Amino acid sequence: MESAVKVGLIAISAALAIGLSAIATALAQSRIGAAMAGAVAERPELVGSAIIMVAIPETMVILGFVVAFLITALKSAE
Amino acid sequence: MIERMAKVEILGLKDIALEAVDVIHDQGTLHIEDLSEKIGAMEGKRVSRMEMDPRASEHEATLNNLRSKVGDMIRELQPEVETLNQAEVAVEYKALWSDNVDTMIARIQRMLSDVEKDTRETVERKNDLMVEMSRLEKYAPIMAKVQPLAERVSRMQDMASIALIIERKYKAILNYLNEEISKITGGECEVVASDVDEESTAALVVFNRHYLKQVHEFLAVQDVNQVRLPSDLARKPIDEAMAEVRARIAQIPAELDGLEGKLSEVTERYSVKLIAARNAIHDRLEAMDAVPKFAQTDQVFIIAGWMPEESVEPMEKALGDKFGNKVILTVVDVHEHAEEEEETPVALRNHPFVRYFEIIYMLSKYPRYGTVDPTVIFAVFFPMFFGFMVGDMGYGLIIMVLGWIVHKKWSQKPLANMAGYIMTVGGAWTIFFGALYLEFFGDWLARWLGVITVSANGEAHVDYILGTENSIFKYPIDRLEGFTFMLAVCLIIGLIHMGAGLIFGVINGVKENNRKHSMEKGGLLMVLIGAMMVIAKFGLGWWPVWAAALGGLMAVGGLVIAAIGGGMGGAVEAVVGAGNLFSYARLIAIGLASVIMANVANDLAREMGKGGKWWGIIVGAIVFILLHGLNIVIGVFSPSIHGLRLHLVESFGKFFEPAKYRYEPFKKTGGEE
Repeated sequence: MESAVKVGLIAISAALAIGLSAIATALAQSRIGAAMAGAVAERPELVGSAIIMVAIPETMVILGFVVAFLITALKSAE
Repeated sequence: MIERMAKVEILGLKDIALEAVDVIHDQGTLHIEDLSEKIGAMEGKRVSRMEMDPRASEHEATLNNLRSKVGDMIRELQPEVETLNQAEVAVEYKALWSDNVDTMIARIQRMLSDVEKDTRETVERKNDLMVEMSRLEKYAPIMAKVQPLAERVSRMQDMASIALIIERKYKAILNYLNEEISKITGGECEVVASDVDEESTAALVVFNRHYLKQVHEFLAVQDVNQVRLPSDLARKPIDEAMAEVRARIAQIPAELDGLEGKLSEVTERYSVKLIAARNAIHDRLEAMDAVPKFAQTDQVFIIAGWMPEESVEPMEKALGDKFGNKVILTVVDVHEHAEEEEETPVALRNHPFVRYFEIIYMLSKYPRYGTVDPTVIFAVFFPMFFGFMVGDMGYGLIIMVLGWIVHKKWSQKPLANMAGYIMTVGGAWTIFFGALYLEFFGDWLARWLGVITVSANGEAHVDYILGTENSIFKYPIDRLEGFTFMLAVCLIIGLIHMGAGLIFGVINGVKENNRKHSMEKGGLLMVLIGAMMVIAKFGLGWWPVWAAALGGLMAVGGLVIAAIGGGMGGAVEAVVGAGNLFSYARLIAIGLASVIMANVANDLAREMGKGGKWWGIIVGAIVFILLHGLNIVIGVFSPSIHGLRLHLVESFGKFFEPAKYRYEPFKKTGGEE
């Protein structure tokens, strides 16, 4: 029973790590995406920079994914 | 690497200025410096902006007019520019070009009048037919609805009819019209309606012919669209008119085809001439635009600019051969004026392999003159990062083949050509890392070879070919099982990648005699290496304590050196820069997402085909192809974007100084724009 609770908590922690960071990334990307769409409409040559700008907040979800993966590794380490 | 440039000044007698401009234009190596700003700031004003020929503005207007006419003609005839023989275009260009602008204008006008003579009638007829076709196509459905009603009316001698077209949303107005026309005609009227399409409704108002004038007047006041046929059809009975409309709709496409045939003959005859004329006009206007950037005194003209060092001698020879000592070229030593070096336009000259990777400068400016060109860092690391993230032999093979096809097929389009080449190199790295991970369309090959076995309870087990589960180095490298190991590898790759950038930063500082800049970048490099030496102690049990202590000292020392070099900003940058190292975790994170998706595709396909039923195998194959196809598409875009980001933000951000100007020589298109 205790072990099942532990596994559940590990799963919730991993889900929170990736879920919250994904929400943060989505919020940031929505703002950057809207701004860059406006910028590209005015100056189409900015499209390359726009792609990079939109990719910048992805660091958050990527680190969230890494942390989530490390958390799940706790389960397999037992 | 950055091409070595020479700053030059060309002086000559004013009366031969325009001829000298033509020679410089022909050489096509001088990046012109706009002297007008410098002249504005001068005191005494003995030097002024070079003035154009008094008739230049008139010529400019005529050339602009010709440019728009040639452009219209090219748009009308739509020649296939990419397949034109460039040698023929160059010959035609020479035939049109003349040092005398009037002569050149006359030649282009003559050529244009020939084209117009041969095309005017055909183009006008084509336009008329297209207008007629679109009108008839509009009438046809309306008339088809109205025709049966009109036929009945035509049998009633004293009745008249008017066809109307109304937007469907205003259909209710028909009731109002019915009431009002009934009042006019004393009840001798009827309105019949039928929908034509989603937007319009056709109606036929039938009434006593006696009230024709009043009804027409009423409808004119109401602003209702009456269906007005072309004048030649308007007086005919509607069934005859309808037959004629149908016949015309059937005839017009054949007529249009005939005209298209005639036009393509003309296109073939004149396309080379038109493109050559477009190029010649472009070059002439560019030469005229350049003149105000030059300077003059009472007696001499002055032209300043930059050119590659190796182009100085040919330019000197060309000017000497034509003008003797009436025109002099002088090389200015820019090192005497530090600000001049900053203004120097930048041209890159890289090895053919590295040149394709200059694609990065479509997203960023060129590196500043006097600094290090980082294209080589991008050429080495970008495809490697790509391969590291995707890491699948099957995917690599597909990406490599697709990349090579794109590279060859669009060899005339720089972006596609470069991207295709980079994809090919990236695909090769993908195959290399795929072999390290033993991945071929996910775990398909590893399972087939028996390296991955699945127990009865569904748990996968890896039988390593080299090493055991507990070994640090083993083969194949399982990205899922060996996540922590791969994370460490990513951080080491990040250290090397950022370290290379920082070493470039130190070199830039040395080249610019900026000791503080070198100290700032060197300090950050020490912080990075020191931090890694300390972190290693936590991950590797055998890592010696003295190495961790040395790392700690290095990090603190580096922080101090960075603070001395860059002040408070330098110290903050050193700490934040060390944090950037963790950004390289994306290399394994994105790769992991890719491998999990590939394994899911395999599992689903395997489940579908498990029963051995033919439909299960087909569905399984479709799932396999679709999911792996999707994964490959994602596998091309996502790693490319993140690879670019690691370069532009994490690495280039540490040392890159953008150039103000790219080297754009004043040159003729020579038959190609």
